[in-house]
Amino acid sequence: MISLSSYLFISLVLFLCGIFVMVARKNIIAILLGIELILNASALNFAAYTKFLNNNLEGHIMSLFIIVIAAAEAAVGLGIVIRFFQLRESIHIDDASTLQN
Amino acid sequence: MHLNYLANIGRYIPEVILVLLMVGLIILEATYKEDEKNRKYIFIATLVGLVATLGALIANMSGKAEAIFSNSIIIDQFSTLIKMVMVLGTLAAIYLSRFSKDIYESLKTEFAIMAVGILIGGFLLASANNMLTFYLGIETLSILSYVMAALKKNDQRSSEAGLKYALYGGISAGLMLFGMSHIFGVLGTIQFAGVAKMIPTLTSAQLAILMPSFVLLFAGIGYKIASVPFHMWSPDVYEGSPTPVTTFFAIVPKLAGIAALIRITAVFFVVDSPMKIGWIGLLIVISALTMTVGNVTAIGQKSVKRMLAYSSISHAGIMLAGIVVINDVGIRSVVFYGITYLFMTLVAFYITSIVQDKYGNDHFDRFSGLIYRYPFMAVMMAVVMFSLTGLPPLAGFVAKYNIISSLINSKNYALAIVLGLNSVVSAYYYLKIVRLMTLKPQESNEEIEGFGFLNQMVIVSMTVPVFVLGIFWETIMNLAAGAKLFIQ
Repeated sequence: MISLSSYLFISLVLFLCGIFVMVARKNIIAILLGIELILNASALNFAAYTKFLNNNLEGHIMSLFIIVIAAAEAAVGLGIVIRFFQLRESIHIDDASTLQN
Repeated sequence: MHLNYLANIGRYIPEVILVLLMVGLIILEATYKEDEKNRKYIFIATLVGLVATLGALIANMSGKAEAIFSNSIIIDQFSTLIKMVMVLGTLAAIYLSRFSKDIYESLKTEFAIMAVGILIGGFLLASANNMLTFYLGIETLSILSYVMAALKKNDQRSSEAGLKYALYGGISAGLMLFGMSHIFGVLGTIQFAGVAKMIPTLTSAQLAILMPSFVLLFAGIGYKIASVPFHMWSPDVYEGSPTPVTTFFAIVPKLAGIAALIRITAVFFVVDSPMKIGWIGLLIVISALTMTVGNVTAIGQKSVKRMLAYSSISHAGIMLAGIVVINDVGIRSVVFYGITYLFMTLVAFYITSIVQDKYGNDHFDRFSGLIYRYPFMAVMMAVVMFSLTGLPPLAGFVAKYNIISSLINSKNYALAIVLGLNSVVSAYYYLKIVRLMTLKPQESNEEIEGFGFLNQMVIVSMTVPVFVLGIFWETIMNLAAGAKLFIQ
């Protein structure tokens, strides 16, 4: 039986995985993937809460918007990463260190 | 269903003008050849559009507060006032981009287009009345800002600034959404008014979920206004971006974030409740930390832009301190602070940008002996620095005084003391520029082309409000007291 708590557990695991990826990985693409995991965790939360607890459309609408905006954000993020790669020939986060005092 | 969108069109004309302006600019930009230098029609169109927006906002000022689009947007005097300040900031940033050498000539039109786009996001955020519009506003602001920070696309520093902005932005937006999803789950609504109704009557189990959720929600706003645990991106982005972009970032996204935070605080936490105590406690701690970290780190900086970035962090802290006092007086003093902050920041960035265009960098030493070459500009810079420190009779003093007095009236003595001490610390690095400009010998005799007659006049006209707001503030505040600024 799939209940609300299973959905919440899965989304919590996704969230923690996202945080872990962002902290532990040094590859910028991996960090962007971590961000996607977190966004998907919250989209799943919205959908699950709507199905089991609050029977209104607001949660579904929120999840749809999250999916759309996550795509936009990934597009812009990847564009900037490509530019960074062309200039620096690296996608290692430690190479982004010109701007430190 | 309420299908009365067109019936309310009188209330959202400013937004409509901005959207049409953005689309129009994109079409207009396509008519130019790629290497065409002087694109003055785009500049004129932007100016006309923004002035029209300002006019529509002024016309909106007299209307009463109204929630439109099924309560997802609220148009009231508070949001209209903040929008007017943001439009003024955008106008000034676009005028600066016109003659700045920090942006590639062919990308100046893109700057104007994206500035208008970010302004639309700021409008949405300033009048957000449910979590969806709130999130959309933050993302419209952010996604365009990432591109704008990386506008100098052949410059390593600029693309690194964009990269850092995008990564930090994505992380904090994700944290905020996760918090929002639990708030929605527990309370069953995304409308701010619905959430506000539920907050005083929470069980302790609900509180246990909501407390961390609200902290996560704060992460999203805290990142936009660069408050302390989420401020790391700000100095890097400010330093790496072209100066007109930095000017824009220091004003529009920050004020939009402050407006959203004010609305959330004032709508959610009207009645005393455990949540309110927790939220106010969080704000107090964050505000004290933001001021202190911003000011202390600013001391050691060599680049003026980076120093201004840290100083804008500390100013965000001061505005947060005003938000702690949730009443009319507190909100009015924060709005007043925002207006004075606009003019002070603009003058400081204009002069820095012109000096930087001349010498190619913005180290403190480039300001040495400015008073011997351009006495007028040096005096303006000194005035603004005194005002940022908070010396009477300038606007910065009055703004700080208002916030401190509202803090003392609401018995937040500790925060008031921290604010006072921080002003003393900030005097060190602000007055350093004044000392360099007046006491050091000049490095060279060369002329700085940027200080033409027209630009000097623009800078002077932006410094005048610093005096006017500082001297006639009582009249202005009394006028503001007559109009009820915030209605919910």
